[in-house]
Amino acid sequence: MFDALTPSEIEAVRLSLKVASVSVLASLPLGFALAWLLARFEFPGKTLLDALVHLPLVLPPVVVGYFLLVLFGKRGPIGHWLDQAFGLVFAFRWTGAALACAVMGLPLMVRAIRQSLESIDRRLESAAATLGAGRWAVLASVTIPLSVPGILTGMLLSFARSLGEFGATITFVSNIPGETQTLPLAIYTYTQVPGGDAQAMRLCVLSVILSLGALMLSEILVRRANRRIHGDAH
Amino acid sequence: MRIELDVEKALGAFRLKAAFASDAPITALFGRSGCGKSTLLNLVAGLLRPERGRIAVGERVLFDSAAAIDVPAEQRRVGYVFQDGLLLPHLSVRQNLSYGRFFTPAAERWADFDRIVALLDLSPLLERRPQRLSGGEKQRVAIGRALLASPRLLLMDEPLASLDAARRGEILYYIERLRDEVGVPILYVSHEIEEVVRLAGHMVLLSEGTIAAAGPVRELMGRIELRGLVGRHEGGAVIEARVAAQDLASGLATLAFAGGELRMPDVDALVGENLRVRVRARDVSIALSEPRDVSVLNCFRGRVVEIGTDAGASVDVRLDLSGAPLLARITRHSAERLGLAPGKEVWAMVKAVSLDRHSVGYA
Amino acid sequence: MRFGNKALAGLVLALAAAAANAQPLVVFAAASLKNALDDVAALSATRPTISYGPSSGLAKQIESGAPAQVFISADLDWMDYLEKRKLIREGTRRNLLRNKLVLIAPAGSAVKAEIGPGFPLAKLLGDGRLATADPAAVPAGKYTKAALEKFGVWDSVAGKLAPADNVRAALLLVARGEAPLGTVYSTDAAVEPKVRVVAAFPDGSHPPIIYPAALTASAPASGPAADFLALMSSPAARKVFEKYGFTPLN
Repeated sequence: MFDALTPSEIEAVRLSLKVASVSVLASLPLGFALAWLLARFEFPGKTLLDALVHLPLVLPPVVVGYFLLVLFGKRGPIGHWLDQAFGLVFAFRWTGAALACAVMGLPLMVRAIRQSLESIDRRLESAAATLGAGRWAVLASVTIPLSVPGILTGMLLSFARSLGEFGATITFVSNIPGETQTLPLAIYTYTQVPGGDAQAMRLCVLSVILSLGALMLSEILVRRANRRIHGDAH
Repeated sequence: MRIELDVEKALGAFRLKAAFASDAPITALFGRSGCGKSTLLNLVAGLLRPERGRIAVGERVLFDSAAAIDVPAEQRRVGYVFQDGLLLPHLSVRQNLSYGRFFTPAAERWADFDRIVALLDLSPLLERRPQRLSGGEKQRVAIGRALLASPRLLLMDEPLASLDAARRGEILYYIERLRDEVGVPILYVSHEIEEVVRLAGHMVLLSEGTIAAAGPVRELMGRIELRGLVGRHEGGAVIEARVAAQDLASGLATLAFAGGELRMPDVDALVGENLRVRVRARDVSIALSEPRDVSVLNCFRGRVVEIGTDAGASVDVRLDLSGAPLLARITRHSAERLGLAPGKEVWAMVKAVSLDRHSVGYA
Repeated sequence: MRFGNKALAGLVLALAAAAANAQPLVVFAAASLKNALDDVAALSATRPTISYGPSSGLAKQIESGAPAQVFISADLDWMDYLEKRKLIREGTRRNLLRNKLVLIAPAGSAVKAEIGPGFPLAKLLGDGRLATADPAAVPAGKYTKAALEKFGVWDSVAGKLAPADNVRAALLLVARGEAPLGTVYSTDAAVEPKVRVVAAFPDGSHPPIIYPAALTASAPASGPAADFLALMSSPAARKVFEKYGFTPLN
């Protein structure tokens, strides 16, 4: 059980980390924009947007995977256009796995960032405006720095969700070793093979270590960010 | 620089309708809580938009509904010192101070960092974070920050309200220095008459969203009918005087004014300085003949000008002391007993101990 | 007092037995049986609860104590797996159905192929992938791998697979046009109008596709489970299976 990792296991870990990192970083701008919209503005259809953002949280992951297949597959309206216009392909590629993770993690990210934004004293933004800061300057110099703890938390939650993503991934991009076989899919495959239990357990332990590592790192970063914002009074 | 304001704004059930103009270095907006003072400041700053009206500072029109002018807040060059300071918590004091400078076009930058820091004694605080500052220190930094954005007009929203008595005096001193040395017009909101008398030249009295009166401080303080709005306990005439002498042995200063000489303790001023003294109406007594063998040090000859018509046990009597105004609050019973009427010659008595440094403003 | 206790115990046992008998019958069946078995179940008096999935997953669930009383696998390996672990009731195992493996393409595709030794599968795929159930674990995938190995084309396409969770997921990928070719059972191709059969894999190219059925060890020898097992071999059920393209055995 404690032998060195086999190449295929290393592959699964590497792929999982790559997919999770890319999914979090790529969805961060959209996640922040949605959180900002929902936290700061009132507009017709706001409730609907809120519900849509939370949909991946309540739908079965396989259903989300199916929708991704329909929309972003090679024949899907968006997938086809992205392929033609930018050469960006999601079908059967790690990019598709990253997309699945991004979609499943988005509600968690948006919630965390939104909470953080709503806790910022709006009058600080007004004060910045009277000092000459335009809307975008206020966003960059006041709003974002003060919402860093929420942003970090949102990123962690999405990252953790991505490390564990299975249903949407396997339905959308299937289980291709080296390309889409992330840790959860690899573990699942081992459990499906008679006698693969020991390997499955090894990968499980690996998953736990990765998740714990991510959790601890984010704890440290959030604490540091809070100290910066609230001073040593905390 | 001249401030011109004429605005209307509805916030829920509250309606604000105000128009005034002022040239004074500090214009005070005075009134009880909820009368619309802070709303007025927010309109001038551009944080709220009036329904209609015009706001101008000097030649610069900030808002004009008729001409469809509405300068966004970040371009108005109007500094704002908030009641709570509102320092940016993730920046150091130095960074807070420099925040506004970053957004000020080079051509408009008149504020000098070192000078403002020296003016407000901020040097020891520069590398600290806002969470480590006391209330008074926070307010000084807030003032410095607003000034360093090179504003053309400074708004101050009850800057002393969240401070204790000792701090209040300290910050008042800095605001006086501001007024005298920096030269930016200030619009100062307060519900403490003491601050208004000390600092302001022009005063706007707000009540329930409308302007009850506007004019020089001295004049408004002398008007009986405004007593209710100015404050029953603290209201009184404001006398312009000059320090004639300081007596170390008795601790009393002698102030010369139109009506004679006023003696009072606790005057922190040099001989020759000009001052304003607020004499609370309830500290003034009236006699029909010159008082003799009394402890009261200040007795002046004067004439009754007007007697208030409020119902109730007490009544305000406006006196003229050879050109200086004085308000006296006595019982209606006594006013009748003494047969007071406009034109009658009387003597006014003011206890020296009823005056202290809170009554004095440095011009 | 002792008599009272015995009577109470007897009552509880009787109730438990009655309750056990009153529980719905749970059947675990391979995914490819979905449409056919649903219709067969409609013939039965009791409404069994049928859980469909990959034979591999179902077998493991039974091993972990899932309350299934009937198991129908899509290959012999997974039934052997349970039999070796004494999780099957002795004497109830029988071979129920046969199926064929076919190569499919999206309905609009005009691709032609003859399945034989060295046939140009990699070229036909182009830069697309072959959708198939996971060859590592799922029967349909295992049959596919065996056949492609037999014809010497496995190495050329091993890196161009889209291994799906089960055979129906592979069918979906081809139906949506995401994969240019796929391998599924002929019975699956029959129910999906969006695919067409390109060619059938010859019978000898892979181990026979046999669906064994049996009672699990937790099922009583007689009762609704045994009834259902018998029902599936009845003439009426055989007619249903044939309708869907299966070949009933025995």
